[in-house]
Amino acid sequence: MNARLKKILSRISFYIGVATFALFCGFPMIWMVLTSIKPDGDILRATPVFWSWDTHLDHYRNLFDQTDFLIYFVNSITVATSATLLTIVIATLAAYGITRFRFTGREYIAGGMLFTYMFAPILIVVPFYILMKNYGLINTKLGLVLAYTTFSLPFSMWLLRSFFQSIPLDLEEAAMTDGASRPQAVVRVIVPLAFPGVIAVSIFTFIVAWNDYLFARVLTSANDMKTLPIGMNDLYNATITDWGMMMAGGVVVTVPALVFFIMIQRYLISGWGAGAIKG
Amino acid sequence: MPTRQEAPLPSRGRRIPEHYWGYLLLAPAVAMVLALILYPVIYSGWLSFHFKHAYLPLQTFIGLENYRELLLDGDGFWRSVYLGAIYGFGSTILQIILGLSAALMLNESFFGKALMRGVALFPYMVPTVVVAILMKWILNDAYGILPYVMDNLGIGRILWFGSDWVMVTVILVSTWTFFPFVVIGTLARLQTIDPELYSAAKVDGAGVIRRFWHVTLPQLANVLFVVILLRTMFMFTKFDVIWLITGSGGIGFYTKTLPIHTFMKTFGELQVGAGAALSMMMFLMLVVFALIYFKLYKRDEHI
Repeated sequence: MNARLKKILSRISFYIGVATFALFCGFPMIWMVLTSIKPDGDILRATPVFWSWDTHLDHYRNLFDQTDFLIYFVNSITVATSATLLTIVIATLAAYGITRFRFTGREYIAGGMLFTYMFAPILIVVPFYILMKNYGLINTKLGLVLAYTTFSLPFSMWLLRSFFQSIPLDLEEAAMTDGASRPQAVVRVIVPLAFPGVIAVSIFTFIVAWNDYLFARVLTSANDMKTLPIGMNDLYNATITDWGMMMAGGVVVTVPALVFFIMIQRYLISGWGAGAIKG
Repeated sequence: MPTRQEAPLPSRGRRIPEHYWGYLLLAPAVAMVLALILYPVIYSGWLSFHFKHAYLPLQTFIGLENYRELLLDGDGFWRSVYLGAIYGFGSTILQIILGLSAALMLNESFFGKALMRGVALFPYMVPTVVVAILMKWILNDAYGILPYVMDNLGIGRILWFGSDWVMVTVILVSTWTFFPFVVIGTLARLQTIDPELYSAAKVDGAGVIRRFWHVTLPQLANVLFVVILLRTMFMFTKFDVIWLITGSGGIGFYTKTLPIHTFMKTFGELQVGAGAALSMMMFLMLVVFALIYFKLYKRDEHI
């Protein structure tokens, strides 16, 4: 009986641990959402109100009506999407080349690409800024797109390579005996088979571009070029903080990242060892 | 199977030799990485031997002067190395402890396990800028929920963004947002540990703690080695979390780690040459750290 009681008690304390952990991870986000729909009167209280009976979406409306948040949002979408498309094209070509052809230095190139992933952004940002300035790419979206594409290329190539390696060459040959040219065979047979990899790479690149603060800060200064992380931070610093609006902004910035993260999760977990997740 | 994959395809008409195609397809990727990662790093080395202004077209070769100056700069450089080490090691140790504990918990079987594994990744998914602003809200002196709760529990108030505590705050926030990295890495390995090992240890009368030390930890050693290395290197070069929480002035002084110092030298004081020298020093330190780390690990392995 005593042993059984002990077991039950240890089980209960385990679940208390689980609940505490869940609260630790999840509460900040719940609090962000709750704050974003509370009226100001309930936000600015010395005794915090957990749930307000007067919830509304005014903070979200203010965010888009009274600030340039929409511009930042569109900029972020544009930059992240362009970087994603460019990465897919370049990484697919490279991954195909490296899996389907034999040439000298192949392994060195593959290894070297991964090695570059160890250069932290802060180590590159100084010379990168000077380079972009020399080429007149400061305050352009192109500069940002180039930065994000380059940073996600090594991992993207590595991930796609493992996908291509798992596709038997026979399939490609069969398509070619049926009269397809090699590019046709690749586009119609290989790319669809490697599609999960392409999706994973896209989402990965998108998140890199969506979250970046450092390069966007250094490479852009004009208001109409700002991406969300810059816009958010400048909004926060600009005036007396409107917490409801900032939390609404936080929700809007987090949701796309959250959705994409959930979609990509299993690829990240299988690929973490090669630097899939950096930061 | 690799040889099978590389077999030449049936030839059709005029052909460019196979291996040229390999180079051709790789060219854009290699060119980008060379031009935008490798070249900047080398360029940075070259810049570090110059006096260079960020906007004005001033550039003079001054040899090792930048390095001499930063090595003599106790309040700037050495202080930032010291603060960077506190931040880097402090947040890495906490992430390892928290991440490993969470992974051990998530490796047990319990109700709602799948959901909890998702929840554990939450902090990692929130963009850094949001983490910074959200934590400033949660820890806000006047209206924050955590100070309120701590007050009511009788712990008392802490000035989270005061000069005494701001480093702790930055370390804790970083731990919160980055520990899932450790969970992902170690949980995957935990799942592959042979249950037989545990049963054997149990038969030998080993309790929970001894099983952890003698079975789990040795099995995790290799993964932990990589995770600790990566985390330390990432945290030592971390810029955005610290910058977004404390900024350049005021309390930023108390969290001026090496990456922040580098950023401010370059884009605040506009001294690109000195900034480049700082980047190179940071890079050197990472290399030295990695070498020592590998050496220690190898020695451990032989015992």
